[in-house]
Amino acid sequence: MTFQIPNFSRRDFLQTASAGFGYLAFTGLTTQAAEAQSNNPLSPKQPHFPAKAKRVIFLCMQGGPSHVDTFDYKPQLATDAGKGSKYGGSKLMPSPWEFKQHGQSGLWISDLFPEVAKHSDEMCLIRSMHCDQPTHPRAMTQMHTGNAQFVRPSLGAWTLYGLGTENDSMPGFVALNPPAASAQNFGSAFLPAIYQGTKVGRPQQRGQGNFRGNSGGPSLADISNPRLASSAQRKQLDFIQTLNKQKLEREEHQPGVEGVIESYELAFRMQDVLPDLMDITEESPKTLDLYGIDGGETDSFGRQCLMARRFIESGVRFVEITHGNWDHHFRLKTDLPARCNEVDKPIAGLLTDLAQRGMLKDTLVIWGGEFGRTPDAPNGDGRDHNNKGYTTWMAGGGVKGGISYGATDDYGYAAVENKCHIHDWHATILHLMGLDHTKLTYRYAGRDFRLTDVYGNVVEDIIS
Amino acid sequence: MQHNMQRNWSPAIVAIVTLCLTAVAGADENYPEPTAEGIKFFEAKIRPVLVDQCYRCHSSDGQAVRGGLSVANRTALLAGGESGPAIVPGNLDQSLLWNAINYRDFSMPPKTKLPAETIADFRAWIEMGAPDPRVPTGVVLKSRVTEEDIQTGKEFWAFKPPVAPTIPQGSEWATTKIDRLVEQQFVAHELTPAADADAHLFLRRMHLDLVGLPPSPETMTEFAEAWKLNPEQAISSEVDRLLGALQFGERWARHWLDVARYAESTGKEVDVTFPNAWRYRDYVIDSFNNDKPYDQFVREQVAGDLLPAKTDEEWAEHLIATGFLALGSKALIEQNPRQFQADLIDEQIDVTSRVFMGVSVACARCHDHKFDPIPQIDYYALAGIFQSTETFYGGVRSQRNRQPSNLIILPTEDPNPSDKAMTKQEIAELKQRRDELEKEAIEARRAQRMPQIKETEPRRTIANQFVLDAQAAQLTSRLNSVDENGKPLTVCMGVQAADRVKNAQVLVRGEIDQPAQEVPRGFVQVLSSTAATIAPASSGRLELAKWMTRPEHPLTARVMVNRIWQHLMGEAIVREPENFGASGPGPTDAVLLDYLAVRFVESGWSVKTLVREIATSRVYRLSSQFDQQRFEKDPDNLYFARAKTRRMDAEAIRDSMLTASGQLDTKRPRGSMIAGFGSTLIGPNGPAMPGMMPGTPGTAGQRPGMPAGMMAMARNRQSGGNIFDSSVYYRSVYLPVARNLLPRSLEVFDFAEPSMVIGERESSNTPAQALYMMNNTFVLEQSDALARRILKEAEAPADRIDLAFRLVYNRPPTDEEVEASYQFFRSADTTPAAGQGRAPRSASEQKFVALSEFCQALFASAEFRYVN
Repeated sequence: MTFQIPNFSRRDFLQTASAGFGYLAFTGLTTQAAEAQSNNPLSPKQPHFPAKAKRVIFLCMQGGPSHVDTFDYKPQLATDAGKGSKYGGSKLMPSPWEFKQHGQSGLWISDLFPEVAKHSDEMCLIRSMHCDQPTHPRAMTQMHTGNAQFVRPSLGAWTLYGLGTENDSMPGFVALNPPAASAQNFGSAFLPAIYQGTKVGRPQQRGQGNFRGNSGGPSLADISNPRLASSAQRKQLDFIQTLNKQKLEREEHQPGVEGVIESYELAFRMQDVLPDLMDITEESPKTLDLYGIDGGETDSFGRQCLMARRFIESGVRFVEITHGNWDHHFRLKTDLPARCNEVDKPIAGLLTDLAQRGMLKDTLVIWGGEFGRTPDAPNGDGRDHNNKGYTTWMAGGGVKGGISYGATDDYGYAAVENKCHIHDWHATILHLMGLDHTKLTYRYAGRDFRLTDVYGNVVEDIIS
Repeated sequence: MQHNMQRNWSPAIVAIVTLCLTAVAGADENYPEPTAEGIKFFEAKIRPVLVDQCYRCHSSDGQAVRGGLSVANRTALLAGGESGPAIVPGNLDQSLLWNAINYRDFSMPPKTKLPAETIADFRAWIEMGAPDPRVPTGVVLKSRVTEEDIQTGKEFWAFKPPVAPTIPQGSEWATTKIDRLVEQQFVAHELTPAADADAHLFLRRMHLDLVGLPPSPETMTEFAEAWKLNPEQAISSEVDRLLGALQFGERWARHWLDVARYAESTGKEVDVTFPNAWRYRDYVIDSFNNDKPYDQFVREQVAGDLLPAKTDEEWAEHLIATGFLALGSKALIEQNPRQFQADLIDEQIDVTSRVFMGVSVACARCHDHKFDPIPQIDYYALAGIFQSTETFYGGVRSQRNRQPSNLIILPTEDPNPSDKAMTKQEIAELKQRRDELEKEAIEARRAQRMPQIKETEPRRTIANQFVLDAQAAQLTSRLNSVDENGKPLTVCMGVQAADRVKNAQVLVRGEIDQPAQEVPRGFVQVLSSTAATIAPASSGRLELAKWMTRPEHPLTARVMVNRIWQHLMGEAIVREPENFGASGPGPTDAVLLDYLAVRFVESGWSVKTLVREIATSRVYRLSSQFDQQRFEKDPDNLYFARAKTRRMDAEAIRDSMLTASGQLDTKRPRGSMIAGFGSTLIGPNGPAMPGMMPGTPGTAGQRPGMPAGMMAMARNRQSGGNIFDSSVYYRSVYLPVARNLLPRSLEVFDFAEPSMVIGERESSNTPAQALYMMNNTFVLEQSDALARRILKEAEAPADRIDLAFRLVYNRPPTDEEVEASYQFFRSADTTPAAGQGRAPRSASEQKFVALSEFCQALFASAEFRYVN
């Protein structure tokens, strides 16, 4: 049995959607609503093939978390501590933290993640990650879009383009507290703007989440109009969209105008939905405790994890949470435990909560940074960037739990066994969502583009 | 007659404001030569204890370098760890090692205190100047970048001086030299240029590009007439008019402020205001308005303090220019002054190299550059220059601001200072109050260490201690704003030559306690035709400024013309404008880039001349109308055969709304909103306000420049805004730029991240922007104002509609837009929001609200936001 995904091009949209491409704009306008519904670029679409995962929560650890201190156990590193290293003058540094086996699967995880480790039987560690970029911005961009050189659509945008979303009052792709100046990593590039990630929460400042949303008050700036009733504002919006539609027809190809049109419709609906969705006052003390929402170090990330669950539950397709400050060139011994502590309980809470609600089986949870760190320590208490070998992990929807896939060399320098390039990682994530990365294409400037360009192999071994 | 003001300097003239700043000793150069006796004492009494008791946790040979502190050699002890220098020779109180072995703030060794006689030995040793023979010597860092690599590197396109190209003949289409060069690319890539834009679109584009403001309806009419007769003539005279307008500088200065990471606070964990940063902002605006030669502009920012000046005014201008080096974000929480200084220098090297030369040298702090032939020693050659420079950015020492500095007193007086004068009695009272607060703060801190005092007692809480400390700092800041007679001081941020000129030592892996060989001060070798010559007594900063601005420098002119092209054409020629190195994308048209660079230098580095040449070219006039074939041949518009449709930036959106509504105040405001708050911390809702703190005398309450009243603040906060969103109507370039708290009108439309060098802003379309245009107080206010203006200036409904479009879109409406407008007025709904508890609107109110809604809709529409 094959499922056909419509291979949209911008031209097709212009021809098929009688009200012009910015379809959403006009559903509220007239009787064209019903007709437009069938052309809704966000309506849920059949995947290429049946798949377990329906939605994604991506926990992005910005800065490059050290794999050899967390999820990649390297006993040889301890044995050869202090010896010269392969890539330079500095000495090998064993992990200052102990690794233990956890769960029935016996996965080795360090003491920095005591709570997450309790979920080891649900986790699939990919210990053979590698990417092409040794610097932060470029590696972040490659992790998100596959390509560090050109502006390309992001993973979340591709997912949304492939599958649509189940709640058209919310953005299908939400970025919680994204770092400043990172729009490209959540962008849609040449894909229609409707697929880009929407930032919710203030941009984080140097790793400190500024999440406000526990009160009953407005949780997002300008979320309500002080002057007009909703029905009155809708009339005004209809006029705005008429002007926009006329512009689009005059100018034919204006992705920016399409973006404006869609942003208004979404914003209008969000006014109804978002304040309630972000109000966590109704959550039980037990739930808050589960996520570590207690005013302490885990509070900020805990809130974001809880918010991610609420968004996912409401039908959002892809939620990304960024947690910053993992760039431990210095003070690894004090700063890495602090970072791990901030996220450990919240992540474990999220996994538990999803499982309790029966949602873990069809929610793909992904954890990882843009690269890992070197096993040698240039200054005795910090590690350098390492894009040749590092670890990410997945849990939930369609992933085999309690396994470790691939391996780095004895010290954790480079992936050597079952190597998983970032393109392979992308191909696998799409596959888990029921999307064939070679078929999920978009025609732009006379060429079919895809997330994985001409690369990428699905890591079949981790799929349950 | 020109004379060098520097020679006239005396501490009395360029005084440095002295704050309550403890002198930080501990630098190597102050270290006395140890005597043989001293060394003997060290070997007998001190070294064994260090080895036995400390090495395990505090040396790179042991298991760890805890807290960043190594005791393994003299340099490391003097540098100290995260908390500061371990040893300050001759000064027990400042030596943290003394503090620790006495179990005060620290307790070392942790398990058992050293015997009393050993502690006495340490006292004697520190007091005699801490003689220590363990000087790390002979570490010579070898670079992997060879002389040959550097020579080969000079062949890279960007590291060779630009060469004037031969200008091809060109077709009839090409009216200027730029056009003939661009046309070469059209031919090579089988492209045909788009048609010319129409007069209205073109005028709007040019106005927004040159002055950041839309044309008035009258200008539109006049220009359209002139265009009919002779487009070239019409454009030429309009360009001249705009280049002469003061708004030109306000527009183009903002582009510069983006790359100069201009901000009015330190950012990072502890965000402290820079109340005088605005002087640099105004300097940049004035420089662009005066068409200051760009080479001079560069020299002033890097070494203005060392340039000759004819008058005090010019001298002041030069000093303010050096604010460029002082404006960076700073981690004031850093305890180790050496680490702080190393980071500060690093930031200065980073901005200097990327902003002026489009290459990143800061990567070479810890290792040789990974992509370009820039060895680590080049970085330290530059570090020596900046190490021989002192940076002044202000601030007051407090528990959270551990790294305050002084400010520079200007040779000219501000006729209208931000700070109020004080009487001698006020000063005395304030001082007394400050001293009391400081005492209370110290007591509170002490109380924390006393177990007999209950934790719940107010004087033991940490909060109490912080509040007292912050209040004291606040008063010190106020006291520092006036001279001894209570007269407000006129000060600026900037740099001065340090007392001592000193080469830097290469730091192995960039670690401050791992010094290797000394490197002579110098510049980036791969960009130099000959070795740098820096006089022994000179820091080399002036030489650096001159070196960067010599006409044959391969990068300085190229980098700037690339930016100018980008701001006019929407895309740069080198698309990563701060990365001209090997890892960057390179130019799409190297010939055009070189032509512009050579022209720029030949014109005397005149920005206005170059802007004029591009703005009057044919290629600048092209239409942005979509064409399938042209698009598919060059989807990324690498060759400029069509104009790029651009979203207005945040400032242009706000300023255009104010222009349409008639509310724009074109006068430059005095200083900045932030200047009114003095030196203070910025929290999530704005600066801590002196007048609002308990126990602070009212003298510091309302200051000039402080924004509209509390009502406006409360209202804005309701819609998610902060105090910096208060209703002011001057141009956006004058809005406050606190690094951690931007005005929403700027932030929501992709304002440049002010801690980073931003050559190209993002241009997103987000629901947050939609919500802003639909619901934000400022937008509603401007819509009301536009509605009132329309009611006043036009009578008939058709005229009102027409005027609204002309004011917002800068063109007459199309027939279908007129039709849609009527349709809107027929069905407009003005039902008030629920929960307002108010009576239904009167008929006249309904009419006004509908008109305001209509105006808002035009602001909110895509046509307003996009420039074709």
